Amino acid sequence: VTSPGAGTRARSGEDQAEAADAVSRAEPAWPHRHLLDTDVLSWAQIELVLDTARHMAGIVAGERPRSTALHGIGVTNLFYEASTRTRVSFEVAAKHLSADVVNVAVSGSSIEKGESLLDTMRTLEALGARILVMRHATSGAPYLVAREFRFAVVNAGDGWHAHPTQALLDLYTLLRHIPGASLRGRKVVILGDVLHSRVARSNLWTLTAAGADVWVCGPSTLLRGFEAWAAAGVGGERRFTVTTDVRAALVDADAVMALRIQKERMASGLLPSLGEYAARFGLTRERLAMAAPGCLVLHPGPMNEGVEIAPDVAAGPASLVTAQVGNGVAVRMAVLALVASAAGLSTGGPT
Amino acid sequence: VSSLAVTDVRSGAAGDVGRVIDLELSAAWLVDPVAGRSGPADLVIREGILESVTWLEGDEAAGVDEHGVIVAPGFLDLHAHLREPGGTSAESMSTGLAGAAHGGFTAVCAMPNTTPPIDRGSTVGAAMAAAEESGSPVRLLQIGAVTAGRAGEQLAPLGELADAGVVGFSDDGSPVQDAALFRNALSYAAMLGLPVIDHPEDLRLTVGAEASEGVVATALGLRGWPAAAEAEAVARDIALLAEVVRDVPGARLHLTHLSTAASLAHVRAARAGGLPVTCDVTPHHLALTDEWLAGARRWAWEAVDANGESRDPWRDGVLAAAPYDTSLRVNPPLRSATDARACLEALVDGTADAVATDHAPHTEVDKSVEFGAARPGIAGIETALGLLLEAVDAGLLTLDRVVAALTVGPANVLGERVSPGWLAVGQPADLVVFDRGSRWTVDSDSLLTKGFGHPLGGRSLPGEVILTLASGRVAYEAASTE
Repeated sequence: VTSPGAGTRARSGEDQAEAADAVSRAEPAWPHRHLLDTDVLSWAQIELVLDTARHMAGIVAGERPRSTALHGIGVTNLFYEASTRTRVSFEVAAKHLSADVVNVAVSGSSIEKGESLLDTMRTLEALGARILVMRHATSGAPYLVAREFRFAVVNAGDGWHAHPTQALLDLYTLLRHIPGASLRGRKVVILGDVLHSRVARSNLWTLTAAGADVWVCGPSTLLRGFEAWAAAGVGGERRFTVTTDVRAALVDADAVMALRIQKERMASGLLPSLGEYAARFGLTRERLAMAAPGCLVLHPGPMNEGVEIAPDVAAGPASLVTAQVGNGVAVRMAVLALVASAAGLSTGGPT
Repeated sequence: VSSLAVTDVRSGAAGDVGRVIDLELSAAWLVDPVAGRSGPADLVIREGILESVTWLEGDEAAGVDEHGVIVAPGFLDLHAHLREPGGTSAESMSTGLAGAAHGGFTAVCAMPNTTPPIDRGSTVGAAMAAAEESGSPVRLLQIGAVTAGRAGEQLAPLGELADAGVVGFSDDGSPVQDAALFRNALSYAAMLGLPVIDHPEDLRLTVGAEASEGVVATALGLRGWPAAAEAEAVARDIALLAEVVRDVPGARLHLTHLSTAASLAHVRAARAGGLPVTCDVTPHHLALTDEWLAGARRWAWEAVDANGESRDPWRDGVLAAAPYDTSLRVNPPLRSATDARACLEALVDGTADAVATDHAPHTEVDKSVEFGAARPGIAGIETALGLLLEAVDAGLLTLDRVVAALTVGPANVLGERVSPGWLAVGQPADLVVFDRGSRWTVDSDSLLTKGFGHPLGGRSLPGEVILTLASGRVAYEAASTE
């Protein structure tokens, strides 16, 4: 397995086999008991998720029987933020693997009542949680839990920081639909509220790892800090481009990912109005026409149609929004199976 | 070469805080910033009184250098949180002053953000009484609130607080946002002969802020604390001071824990213009950087390139620890390596008069939580000396400058009300003895503070303190001298 990222020399097949052999001796193919972000994943590990997800897709499609990989294993979805699609996606994924699923929704008010995150984690662990799927409004919260939880933690979104399964399913979706099944040198645009977006951050790691020419675009107030990160490079080396010029971003784009704009951005003075955002940055058919023919359209959902994305674009022929949802289950199955295996939980193989 | 002989002269077991001793220190390296001299010396203390200081010459001085046992005047901390009254689950006078002595401090300024706050004469008296009851000879120098209840709305009874013995005024972490009120405070405090100590922060720019704005905060998805929030507040304070000094020549402004190059540049310019503004920097802002939040564990001076620009911890592959360690959450936040370098340079060139610890202990309940929910503060009074000595070992500071910034520097900030005995012959000895060559491990066994967690936990620091004498009495004594 070679990285398509910059700086990798071509190797002969024999070299590759030898290298792969050395790697498998040095460490297991998937050493991660927790999946907290995409930043720690090597390209080989990303490919392992994608390969595993391709396999899982057959189960999701009903072509093959459900897996017993997580039979009898407790998967607890601990959600401190309201979420339907991600929570259901994890739940369906876990059920396809025969896991015992528990959903815990914690409202803001019960946090204020005082039970700490670690106490909640210990309680759930005592109640049989073995894979803790966690959504939390505070960046870094899953790292706190992962330090003490004895089994596996999967981050289902923490604050502005990371949403690794979303980034992996986005990559999976893009690679399935992009001609040539490679993002190397392809222009991928992330458009919208980048500042507050965990989806954008996790995608920056995976898309640059895939060798894509990544552009982030939005109003300057919602790109704060990204110019400096772009200059330093993701991981200190993988550059991307930051612009407020939606035309420059979209021209010749091979894929564009629109991000949700939230009403709170007006209250905090970051935007004058949703209408002004839609007028200047909304992904409309006219704007999409500037992109390369067949430019793929993604959105992590939920969408504000008519604000960051026009309804006819969201439902248009290039839209992968529905495909993202379906692929999300397969990718999450892959992630659950892999972390379970690294945590010594699986009862069977990855299928 | 150095030798240290301790003899108890009054009842009390070895190691008992507060006891009076005889002490003969031979061939130690003495740093005396009052006399502006350092070198090999013998010191003799009888019943707590410094009887003699003999500078050694020639053969007697042979082999004694500044890498072994060091004697210095007791340190003075301009900024600490001792949490009494009201916060004794995080720290008490007893544990706070014990930690201070372990850090080599013999006098500590306590900030007034207690419960209740120190905004009346009676609460000053209660704090002083608690310090007295602790049995520690470390001097408590209480700072009073600037505004009633630290609410930023009206002046606290500054005269009453001055009469009760406060050494300055500060609302610290709740800085006075109302410029008119802050101007009045500067003026009124000047009339009382006391400085106003400001924690410069424009709170409108730091709502919800978790980490210094920059690449690390961006990559970690942490809400940014822009450097401008500090620089802007510093500029405001200096502009107000310039007005006030025309009316009240004795006005004094002290800016605490400056953390950015821009703020320090403002202070440098104001001092060049003759304004009576002083400032301090903390050990953590000059030795640690924001990349520690991402998991880096190298010193600030190792994180800059040849041009003084911050290096990238991801590129350098130095992310060794788990990210989001709440022991690193502090206000102002850990900054870039460039800002840390500016703090160090300000200390070297004298723009920063003092090093202050901003010792801010918290409980496990307040720290063992999500990063953004963790209370800000590093309980660093015991590690200040070690961090500064790391910078000395790296060749970036001199030992003499470190000692001055912990002694005469902060004493000058406070002015005449604070007059430590220090190394004056015939006075109660007030000094610290440490072994620069001896490293010690920072952990819950070695630290005397109650504060939970420490950014340097598990690491070692140079300069183990052997003995601290405050006002002629033992404030801290390492087990090895017993």
